[in-house]
Amino acid sequence: MNRRTFLAFPLASAALPSVSAASALLAHLPSAEASPSGGSAELDFTANLPAHGSFPERWICGSSSCMDNQDPPIQVHWYNEHTAFLRQNKAYNYEAPFMHLYFGNRRILFIDQGYTQLRSEWPLRDVVDKCIAEWCGRNGRKVDEMELLLSFSHLHDDHYAGINQFYDRPNTRYMGLTHEEMIGFWGMTNYPEERVTLDLGGREILIWGSPGHVMSEFAYYDTYTQILFTGDMFYRGRCYISFWEPWFASMKRLMAFLETHPVTHVVGCHIEISSTGEDYPYGVTYQPDEAPWQLTVAELRHAYEIATTIKEPGIYFTGSVFLCNQTRGTTTVDKNPYAYE
Amino acid sequence: MSQTGNPATAQSPQSSARKFVAPAYYPNGNPNAPLNPPGARNTDSCLPPDKAGEVVHNYACDGPAPGDIAFHWIHGSVCAATNRDPRIQVLAYNEDTYILRENPCIHWEAPFTYLLFGNTGALLIDTGATPEAAYYPLRTTVDAIIRRWCSIRHKKSIPLTIVLTSGEDIAQSQGLGQFAGRPGTTLAPTQLAEIKTFHKLADWPNATGSIDLGGRVIDVIPTPGAHKDGITFYDRYNCFLHTGDLLYPGRIQIGNDRDYVASLSRLQQWGESHPVKWIMGGHIEMMFAPGRAYPRFKNYRPFEHVLELEPSVLGEALAHATAIVGRPEVVFSTDFILLNRVGPDERNYRTSPDLPFIPIPIWLP
Repeated sequence: MNRRTFLAFPLASAALPSVSAASALLAHLPSAEASPSGGSAELDFTANLPAHGSFPERWICGSSSCMDNQDPPIQVHWYNEHTAFLRQNKAYNYEAPFMHLYFGNRRILFIDQGYTQLRSEWPLRDVVDKCIAEWCGRNGRKVDEMELLLSFSHLHDDHYAGINQFYDRPNTRYMGLTHEEMIGFWGMTNYPEERVTLDLGGREILIWGSPGHVMSEFAYYDTYTQILFTGDMFYRGRCYISFWEPWFASMKRLMAFLETHPVTHVVGCHIEISSTGEDYPYGVTYQPDEAPWQLTVAELRHAYEIATTIKEPGIYFTGSVFLCNQTRGTTTVDKNPYAYE
Repeated sequence: MSQTGNPATAQSPQSSARKFVAPAYYPNGNPNAPLNPPGARNTDSCLPPDKAGEVVHNYACDGPAPGDIAFHWIHGSVCAATNRDPRIQVLAYNEDTYILRENPCIHWEAPFTYLLFGNTGALLIDTGATPEAAYYPLRTTVDAIIRRWCSIRHKKSIPLTIVLTSGEDIAQSQGLGQFAGRPGTTLAPTQLAEIKTFHKLADWPNATGSIDLGGRVIDVIPTPGAHKDGITFYDRYNCFLHTGDLLYPGRIQIGNDRDYVASLSRLQQWGESHPVKWIMGGHIEMMFAPGRAYPRFKNYRPFEHVLELEPSVLGEALAHATAIVGRPEVVFSTDFILLNRVGPDERNYRTSPDLPFIPIPIWLP
C-alpha cells in the first residue's frame, strides 16, 4: 500500500479492524440502537458547514504557585460533538501547548502531543483514551474499530514530547521525528506546496507545508469546522520566524488558501499575549489574563499586510501577534527592572 | 558501604590537557589530619538534661567554624504541579546556622534564606519570593527551628532580627509580611533611606555596620550594584559572605556597573583582612557545566551548580566586571554569568566558546 491509498482509503489499511466493523460501516445502518452488530450510522461531515462550535471563556492558565495548582493536567474542551481541543496545564509545563482531536467515521486525528514525555507525570494517553471512549460511546462506535493517527504541527519537542505514551496502543500510527518521516507520513513528494487530503471517514483534513518557524511544519484545515491550524508559524504570541523567505511564502500560501476556502477561525499552538496585548515573558507559568486562543481571518490578513512591509529582522506587533523576524527566541520585553543610574 | 574510594588513586593527576587538578578526596576521612584540630568547638548540645540555666556558646574561632553542606538541594521536578518535595528545604550547616531553600515549584527564583544564631539574638537574612504562608510557610519553619534551637540551649526565646540583602528585590523580600506582629522581632525596612538608618550607614556605601548576636558578630557591608540598596553580610563565625544578588552562581544582572565594580572591590579589600570560606548567594541558576545557566522561570533544574562559591570567584568577577563597564555585554565564567546593560534573557542557554562544552539534555523536560 502506498501513502496515497493510506490517506484516502482507511478501510484498506493494514490495521483493518474486523470484517463485522467493515460490513457495519458499509451497511449504512441508521443508528447505533438499531444496529445488532454494534456498528452505527455514518456521520455526515459535509452538510450544514461549517459545523459550529465554541471556545471556552478562559483556558486553564497555570497558577502563582505551580506546586499548589489543582487544575487538571490537561484541559479538554469539546468545540463541538466531533472536535476536541486539549491544552497542557501551565503548571505542568510553561509551553502549555494546544492539541487537537478530530473525529471521523473511521479514523481519529490527534495533532500534537504536548511537552512532557512520561505518562507517570502527565497522563496524555489516559486523557486521549478517555476522550475517544466518550466519543465512541456517544456515537455507537467501538474504540478498537477506530484508527488513531498521531501527527504533530512541526518538529519541535514541545509538540511531540508525549508521543511515545502511545507506543502500545492498538490501531495507532504515529509520525517519525525527522522531516523525511513527517512528509512521508502524508505521502507528500512536493513539500511545501503540495496539499494532501486526509480522509478520516467522511471528514477531510487538508494538509500542506508551512515552513518558516522551522523548516518542517504543516498547516492543517478541517473541512468540517473550517478551522485553520497554523501551528507555531502563526499564533497569538511570538511567531519566531527563523527563516524569513520560507515563512513569507507560507503566508502567501495561506492568503491563496483563504481565496478558495472558507475559514471560521485561525488557531495556533500557544497563547503568549494578555487580553491587553501585553507580552507574557518566555517561560512564565502563570498567565492570569490571557487573550483568546483563536484568531480571526482578518487578523491573519492584517498580519500578512504588515509582513509585506517588513524588510529587515526585528519584532513587529500586528495588534494580535508578534512577528519576531530572525530575533532570539525569547520574550519581546526583557528589561532589568533594577537597573539604575 | 558506598564510600570506599581509595585516596591513593583518587589523587592521581588529571589529564594535563584539562589543566585541572582535583582536590584531595578522602571519602572515609584523612588519616593524617589532626583528630582534634584547633578550630573545633564544643557545641554544648549534649549536656546533661538537668543542667540548669542557659547555655552560653563560645563563637570565638580561628578561621571558619566547622560546618558542611552535605546534601542535595531540592531543584523542582518535571511537572511542578506534581512536585512533592518540601515547600522549604531546611539544612543545618552547623548547629547555629541554617540554610533554607524555597521549592522551585512554588517560585522559580527558589531563593536561599539564612538563619544564624548567637547567644542573644537570631538573624534571618532574606525572606523568599512568595508572600502566601499557605504556599511558602517561612514563618512557621523559622519558628520551628528557633523553638528547637532554644530548647537545646535552654532558652525560653531569643529575639529575631530580619534583614534583607536588598529591600527592593521582590525575590527576597516577599516573606517579610509573615513576621508582622511576631513578638520579639525586628524587621529591617525595605526603603534605602531607612535601610541606611537601620544599619547606621550614614556614609553609604563606604561605611560598614554590624549586628551583634551575642558572641557572634555579623558585619554589614553596603554593596550596591545588582540592586541600588544591595547589602552583603559577613558572618565572622562561618566566614561567609552573604551576597544576595551581587555574586551568586547564576545570571547576575548588573543594575549599575560602576557601583558593581566598586562593591566587588570593597569586598575584595574586605577579604584581604577577613578570612572568607565561601560566598553564599541568594540563588542558583548555573548548571554544573561551565558557563551554562538555566534561564529565568525554569522550575526544573536537575543539573544545578552548588550554592557555595570559592572566594577566588570574587577576584574573577571583579576582573570581568571592570572590563565591561559602560558596555552592553554578557560575560560567561565557569561559575557565574554577568549581564551588563542587557535584558535578563540575553544570550539564554549560551556559553563562551572558551569554556569546555559539555553536552547536557536540557531541552525536553
